[in-house]
Amino acid sequence: MSAPPVLEVRGLTKRFRGLVALDGVDFAVPEGAICGLIGPNGAGKSTLFNLVTGFLPPSEGEIRFRGAPVTGWSPQQAGRSGIARAFQIARPFPGLTVRQNVRIGALFGRSGPRDVEGATDSALALLGIEDLADRPAEGLTVGHLRRLEVARALAARPLLLLADEPCAGLNPAETDAMIAALRRIRDGGVTIWLVEHDMRAVMGVCDRILVIAAGRAIAEGTPGEVAADPAVIAAYLGAAEESRGA
Amino acid sequence: MTIRIAAVLLLFAALAAAPAFVPPFEVRVLSLFCFWGALSLAWSILGGFAGYWSFGHTVFIGVGAFVPGLIVARLLDGGGAELMPLMVLAGGLVSAAFAAVIAWPLLRLRGIYFAIAMLGVAQVTGELSAAIEWIGGGIGLSLPDAAPAALAPEAFYHYVFVGLLALTVGVAAWVRGARFGQGLLAIREDEDTARMLAVPTEGYKIAALVLSAFLTGLLGATYGFSLGYITTDSVFRTDFSLNMIVHALLGGIGTVAGPLLGAAVMVVLTQVVLGEMLNLHLFATGALVVAMVLLAPQGLLGLWRRRARRGADGRPRP
Amino acid sequence: MIPLLQTLLDGLVLGGVYAFAAVGFSLIFGVLGVVNLTHGVFVVLGAYGALLLHEVVGLDPILGLPLVMAALFALGYLYQRTLIAAAVERASLVASLLVTFGVALMARNLLQVVASPDVRSIATAYSFAGLSLGPLRVDLVRAAGLLTSLVLLSGLALLLGRTAFGRAIRATAQQPVGAALSGVNVRHVHGLTFGLGAAFAGASGAVIGMMLPFTPGSEAAWTLNAFVVVTLGGVGSPQGALLGGLLLGVIATLTAQYVGPAFQNAAMFLVLVLMLLLRPQGLLGHAFAASR
Repeated sequence: MSAPPVLEVRGLTKRFRGLVALDGVDFAVPEGAICGLIGPNGAGKSTLFNLVTGFLPPSEGEIRFRGAPVTGWSPQQAGRSGIARAFQIARPFPGLTVRQNVRIGALFGRSGPRDVEGATDSALALLGIEDLADRPAEGLTVGHLRRLEVARALAARPLLLLADEPCAGLNPAETDAMIAALRRIRDGGVTIWLVEHDMRAVMGVCDRILVIAAGRAIAEGTPGEVAADPAVIAAYLGAAEESRGA
Repeated sequence: MTIRIAAVLLLFAALAAAPAFVPPFEVRVLSLFCFWGALSLAWSILGGFAGYWSFGHTVFIGVGAFVPGLIVARLLDGGGAELMPLMVLAGGLVSAAFAAVIAWPLLRLRGIYFAIAMLGVAQVTGELSAAIEWIGGGIGLSLPDAAPAALAPEAFYHYVFVGLLALTVGVAAWVRGARFGQGLLAIREDEDTARMLAVPTEGYKIAALVLSAFLTGLLGATYGFSLGYITTDSVFRTDFSLNMIVHALLGGIGTVAGPLLGAAVMVVLTQVVLGEMLNLHLFATGALVVAMVLLAPQGLLGLWRRRARRGADGRPRP
Repeated sequence: MIPLLQTLLDGLVLGGVYAFAAVGFSLIFGVLGVVNLTHGVFVVLGAYGALLLHEVVGLDPILGLPLVMAALFALGYLYQRTLIAAAVERASLVASLLVTFGVALMARNLLQVVASPDVRSIATAYSFAGLSLGPLRVDLVRAAGLLTSLVLLSGLALLLGRTAFGRAIRATAQQPVGAALSGVNVRHVHGLTFGLGAAFAGASGAVIGMMLPFTPGSEAAWTLNAFVVVTLGGVGSPQGALLGGLLLGVIATLTAQYVGPAFQNAAMFLVLVLMLLLRPQGLLGHAFAASR
């Protein structure tokens, strides 16, 4: 247990013109784990991922990647150092084929231009989309787009994969396939941190879960601990009631 | 792949052999094709690969042509024909340096804002070249005839343009296949995602503009020598900027063969078919642009590929 | 002091007309998202239309405005419903940039053939009269042009802000899908907006024809001017166009007076690039961007 966590955030805070989007969040993603990040809409989940990947600078707090301070780095630095991100709204390059998409992920990934074809092929295979390799990304189904999104991130041979709702919009069978793929990715040595709304998916696959609400961490632990936490239940029930009222 | 290389070699062999076999007018038409094909391909390195459409690329032709003009007029007292290769290189380098200077502010603009800003750069640089007395673009500058005595001028400049086309095709093909080119494609498709995938977007965009400006500058300098006398109006020309885009669009944007195909079609159309109707050139070009955008937005190559695919599986694709 | 004041006054007068000439571009850009590179053609067509009315019927350009505006409105409406709509649907907004560029070239070429490439201007009976404001002087045509510009700009602001048609335009610009769901015929509104933009461009052309010389090739300069005005002031509103136009007018005349007429465009462009870098949404922002 002496190895530092792959990713650690301490006291991470983000304010937008006085509005506090994230307020002093602490969390550590241990190596080889699948961690979850859950919370009601607007809790600050995307903001947290945007801070970690350098799309936004934090107002306060510290980010450490493999023990080294990286607060305020750029998306490019994050990518080169081994953080890959699959966006919530899949954003493949529409004019390129599936293979070209994944290949670009590999070309600029951590292993650089070495063994690009190998990384591309294994990412395509791991997500089960090798048959679609020569199809243009434009016009794929939602399920295939999500798999392409994850495959492209994976082709960079990251150390940490941030997956933003990889199962959103998928039917139960596709969700199961995605979860199986995430497990295979983890078994291949990639640490995963995912945001997910599908509770069945989160509870089934995660080792540790961070729950945030209104920018604050309200609970942290194993899926069992989190599910039994009164603060979590209150936050989710409260959110449910608000949305029913609205 | 080997077929493709063979086709390219054959094309260049035919172009190089042309002055020995065809009459001067046709040689000039072929030179124009080389000039326009190379220009459009140079434009494509930024516009076609990275998706940053410059509407003012003629500025690099102008800068490229004025550099030898000024060297000849201000340093060499009107002579120096034998130094042409060095002066052409200087035209390319100064063009590239100029691009490097404007790259930082301009490449922070995206889409139409970049397009129009480049239009403005060309407009203003042209106006300044005419207004500043030391440059003298209003009255004009002469360039010496660099053709060796043994060669007819049109044959000499034809060889130079064939060489420059070969250089540009080589550079563009290399870029297209390299990591650099893949990064440019990623920028074209979605710049934010490209950043996330660790594509060094800023550096790549600047490199693409500078490389494109260098090649365009070489072509502009050579064009200046072939004219023999340059003015602001003869090298800073909006229709030059437009033609580079139109050729690429017509042939197929983002490819290497597309701009060449587009240039070939347009040169034949304007020089041979419309040769007698000089006063309607603009109209024809405009109509062609409109027709292309509405009927074949992927260019002629796109049309051909779609047809080929249809032929392959025997039914139209959805 | 007096020369500086005179220069500033000239700049403001010119700026008012720049604003008038740009407002149609701004409206079309704001509502449809289309950068209309045919805009300058509309301006120049307005000038030639007024010239024709003046020479053939003897109608004063300002009295002839309704005719010019009606003709340009119809032209703009048809143009949008056919070519522009097709380009946007089949390809993209960038495609519409190219289509309008292509049409501008065709129109310029046709005008050169039909009306000759010669420099023209409209000489009215009061062309050489002037007004004195203390030590300062304004040509009567320029004063009339500025007044017309301000009246029509105000009219457009009222139309957009206070009428049902204006509400439909604003709704379409902000939420095209929502507007369609609540019964607005979005295609029709787009066509009408384009027609309105063209009508204002044509009207400005008629006024410009009395103040400045023009040729078919002037269209490029008027398109660029409109783009600069909109970038400076902000997209979509007469107020933004007015602010941008006045700024541009003052910059242009100050540069012409104190640096040299050849450097007008260079100075305007420098301001444009600075603006794009510092505040790309323009001084007043995007009039319809609230919910985008």
